[in-house]
Amino acid sequence: MTTKEKPEFNDEFNEAEFFGFAKSYLSEAFPNPQRVGCPPDSDLQQMAEQPVEARDAGASKHLTSCSPCFNRYMEILANLKRRKAAGQ
Amino acid sequence: MVSGAAPSSFRLNSVDRHGRQIDPSVLAAAETIFPKALDYGQSLLGDLAVIANTLEEVAANVSQRMARRDSSGEPEAIRNLPGYVFRAFVREVNRLKNKELAVLDAAVEGQTLAQRLADPARQLEMKVLVKECLARFDFTERDMCWRRLEGFTWDEIGPVHELSAHAAEVRFRNAVRAVKAKLVRSRKPLPPTAQTAQNEQLMPAMEADDDERKT
Repeated sequence: MTTKEKPEFNDEFNEAEFFGFAKSYLSEAFPNPQRVGCPPDSDLQQMAEQPVEARDAGASKHLTSCSPCFNRYMEILANLKRRKAAGQ
Repeated sequence: MVSGAAPSSFRLNSVDRHGRQIDPSVLAAAETIFPKALDYGQSLLGDLAVIANTLEEVAANVSQRMARRDSSGEPEAIRNLPGYVFRAFVREVNRLKNKELAVLDAAVEGQTLAQRLADPARQLEMKVLVKECLARFDFTERDMCWRRLEGFTWDEIGPVHELSAHAAEVRFRNAVRAVKAKLVRSRKPLPPTAQTAQNEQLMPAMEADDDERKT
């Protein structure tokens, strides 16, 4: 890649592009088959319901480098969103 | 749907495509304004059948409105029925056209996005940006990011962090902007590819050729 072709980062923030790319990237880029350092499901559930930095900082950071946990957390958030929409 | 060959002899159905009955007086009014509706509708909707269907639906809506009783128990009176039906038709055509344009805009936007993400240089740029954002975001900004990724609205995200929807959105955008600014400042030349390295090796030889030609 030449100097001319390297990342620019100067254009306007395109939210759809950012999140579209982030979701597909994070869901596949970090397979973690041994599930090293994964938090229990209950921690992810708690963080989705009410995030608390002192309690959830580690789990939140872990999602940036573990695709299985990222995908599970997205599922939990989707269920939460559905439950809230149904007024439960 | 219409029957007849020329606009002057067009007859509308007494039932719209949803099976709703059209009041005879409204049907007569709709047939009166049909040539005018055709003029207006052709430029925006194009298809004669679509125009006729739309007019029949509008006529059925007006019939339902007329059947409603006002506070004194009388049916709602409409003074200029053909004019009323025509205005309702114009509003409906404009609504359909705006809906069509919105769908078209969304399709074009989606296509542009897909094209941009298919570009390897853009993919690299997005990958660096996403990684940097996730590394530099604080806990709240990262949590906003997770929720936004799953389609939460800012109205839903804001209260989770005791913020208004607007404040949450502004905070997130500012966080991304700050990361982008840092990336721009720290921009370093990337290693050249084999092709560019080869080109750069050829440059002195090309310059020498130029010098020879001059002398």
